[in-house]
Amino acid sequence: MKQRMRSDTTTLLALGGIAIAATVLGARKPARAAWSAAPRQTRREAPTHIAAARRFNHSSSLLALSVLADSAVEHYRGSFKNPAMFIPLLSASLSFFAGLHGGRDRRAASHPVRHGIHAFAAMAGIAGTGFHIYNVTKRTGGWSWNNLFYAAPLGAPTALLLSGGLGAIGERLRDQPANEPRLLGMPAGRAMALAVSAGLLGTVGEVGLLHFRGAFQHPAMYAPVIIPPVAATLMVQTALAAPRPRPGTRWWLRLTAALGLLGVGFHARGIARCQGGWRNWSQNIPSGPPLPAPPSFTALALAGLAALRLRQTEK
Amino acid sequence: MSGDAVQHPRARGGQAPDVFRKGGWVSMREYPCDEEVDFVIVGTGAGGATLACRLAEQGFKVVALDAGAWWRPLEEFASDEAHQQKLYWTDQRICDGDNPLKMGSNNSGKAVGGSTVHFAMVSLRFRPEWFKCRSLLGYGADWPIDWREMWRYYDEVEQALSIAGPITYPWGPPRKRYPYRSHELNAAALVLARGAEAMGTAWSATPLATVSAPHGKSPPCVYRGFCVAGCATNAKQSALVTWIPRALKAGAEIRDLAMAGRIETNDLGRAVGVEYFRDGAWRFQRARNVVVAGYAIETPRLLLLSANHRFPDGLANSSGLVGKNLMVQSNQAVWGVMDEEIRSYKGPPSLSISEHWNYQDKGKDFFGGYAYMSQGPLPVGWASTQNGRGLWGAKLSREMQKYNHQAGLKIVGETLPQERNRVTLADEKDQYGLPVARITYGFCDNDKKLIAHALHFMEQALEAAGGKEIWRQEDDTCHLNGTARMGDDPRTSVVNADCRSWDIPNLWICDGSVFPTIGGVNPSLTIQAIACRTADRIRALAQRGEL
Repeated sequence: MKQRMRSDTTTLLALGGIAIAATVLGARKPARAAWSAAPRQTRREAPTHIAAARRFNHSSSLLALSVLADSAVEHYRGSFKNPAMFIPLLSASLSFFAGLHGGRDRRAASHPVRHGIHAFAAMAGIAGTGFHIYNVTKRTGGWSWNNLFYAAPLGAPTALLLSGGLGAIGERLRDQPANEPRLLGMPAGRAMALAVSAGLLGTVGEVGLLHFRGAFQHPAMYAPVIIPPVAATLMVQTALAAPRPRPGTRWWLRLTAALGLLGVGFHARGIARCQGGWRNWSQNIPSGPPLPAPPSFTALALAGLAALRLRQTEK
Repeated sequence: MSGDAVQHPRARGGQAPDVFRKGGWVSMREYPCDEEVDFVIVGTGAGGATLACRLAEQGFKVVALDAGAWWRPLEEFASDEAHQQKLYWTDQRICDGDNPLKMGSNNSGKAVGGSTVHFAMVSLRFRPEWFKCRSLLGYGADWPIDWREMWRYYDEVEQALSIAGPITYPWGPPRKRYPYRSHELNAAALVLARGAEAMGTAWSATPLATVSAPHGKSPPCVYRGFCVAGCATNAKQSALVTWIPRALKAGAEIRDLAMAGRIETNDLGRAVGVEYFRDGAWRFQRARNVVVAGYAIETPRLLLLSANHRFPDGLANSSGLVGKNLMVQSNQAVWGVMDEEIRSYKGPPSLSISEHWNYQDKGKDFFGGYAYMSQGPLPVGWASTQNGRGLWGAKLSREMQKYNHQAGLKIVGETLPQERNRVTLADEKDQYGLPVARITYGFCDNDKKLIAHALHFMEQALEAAGGKEIWRQEDDTCHLNGTARMGDDPRTSVVNADCRSWDIPNLWICDGSVFPTIGGVNPSLTIQAIACRTADRIRALAQRGEL
């Protein structure tokens, strides 16, 4: 009974996560309208790099939410056997709120608590990757396909690292001058575009592995290994080539963002195809395709759009 | 409802049960008995269902008969080993010889879909050399089929069943990638892996006919573990959920609870149809061709039962080999107790495998090979295995408490064809009034040496994997083959490479009976591959007007 309740709680958490994700994304426009009521002027005049920082905060938040829901379901499935399995839940929760807070913050200065939370997320992501590598290699068979498929997923903690990274970029960007902001020794827009590109490619690696495990049994399973790599390439091009308007890239990033949301729908359909379908949600959500995973692409694509806008202002 | 399936035929009135929907039906074409259909097929297991599907898809008029019931897995397969014995062929038979066989659970099925409804889903290819094992390895008999041709049909069956297998298979020539990925290994499978690594031999995830991702209307396997008692989710790719729905769609008629009793021949020595018992009466289906696919006991029994003045020794029996060369597979095991919890009943029973001794010829004092696999016995079966050890009462109770820590390795071992191992007719009659089969079986010295080698090797492997209190289970056998072997010479075989009988050109045999040798792997994939090949050959012959 207790276990059943835990199961229900976790699943509700996961479903809640999806609902919030949808709200955050869906509410972008109305929310903007609400904020703009009083400080409309301020907002219009806000420096471009602060707008980009806020968008990065939002992306970081969405990514954290995805990690929170995904790790909650998966680590529940792993019975929280190691207490460290709670860390991503804690870290992602903090990052989620930090990201939301940063998204509302128009000040041109980084926030030390938020910055700390993002740094913690990045470190948790790195440590998590270490734990997951250990989990794969300690198994009989070591670096075998079977262990890569079914042991702790190697790429998953990287999403936390990405969330922390996007958030930290958002914070550091605020400390830069409005004119020609720089990050990592290069124009900020370029750095951000490269970061998004790396994030997209890492996520594609994870999706590729898991969709291969699912034998690409549905043609739609190819979409997330085709569309985001193109987006990543366009981001590299954005970073390295001379800044100019790139409507094609913008549309491709929007397509990638939409893909993340569509993915939730396909994964929901995947759960319906499991034995017992949604009526057996307490078993099929943990064991079916992960509902919270696809919005990672949405988060990264939104960050990509922010990087693109900033990059266009650079020389 | 369950009783209903064995009382009254379900496939009638132009419809048949839809195995994918509770209470659902699919439409089915029906043929009147007096219409001469192209093929009447006796049996709907790995051989019969596959052939019925492929022939119907080629446009032939096909009627397939099965003595068993048409079960609805979603509604009628209980998590209850005793109840699920309804899937086994447990009609009366007489078993004798030096090693009398135990018929039922792991060697015969009585249901639409045959024993694939309760098979362990292990889907292995023959070692290529086995198709020429007399010429190349010095024992048994050569097959009249080349392994490269079989390799193509293995590909086809693996695709049709969405076999979940490893990315690279350690033994044999390259094969196409398995359509689905192998399943997660349970603790029992990892015991095999640890043991094999300690022994310096390869191991692998077992290629299995249960899907690891959705396929059509089959959901991915939920690791319920009752596979050999019937899959209640349809993840298992049995003939019942694969070939048979396809066959119906292509216009075949499948008649459940239809027990064939006799194949009629005319004065020209050709088969004209099958007499069968259904719905309280004997009926006769006319056909241009008759295919027998009743597996290694019922196939020779039906051929022998059909003896007439023209064929006094039974049909297709001019070689005298119908019923002879019955081969079982040896199925011995070693069991041990592990420190850690194993819960071997989680998931399909044989998730990992070693085929090392199928492919390694050195270090053997016997002909043939064996595979060994991890095991996941269900509780009642496990108690019965312990009874077989002589444990009862308090001793049994103490042993059963170790159930969750138990792990075992079990072989599927090759035995040699011997004419003294055979199926004949007894004087006793069954519920249909037909003489029952007498099954005579005994291991030869070579078989015993193979078993001794396997037990010795597996004992070391299990010990190296951490097994304690290791003991040997020496009394089990499984799959049955032979009894109507194929070959190139009418004097030494019953059918040719196309599964066509030498004596009666429109009589075919398409099941495990046609195997000249049995190899050390589970036979279902090979039976299905041969059925696919037979279907292609029939099409080619029909196009040339040679049917």
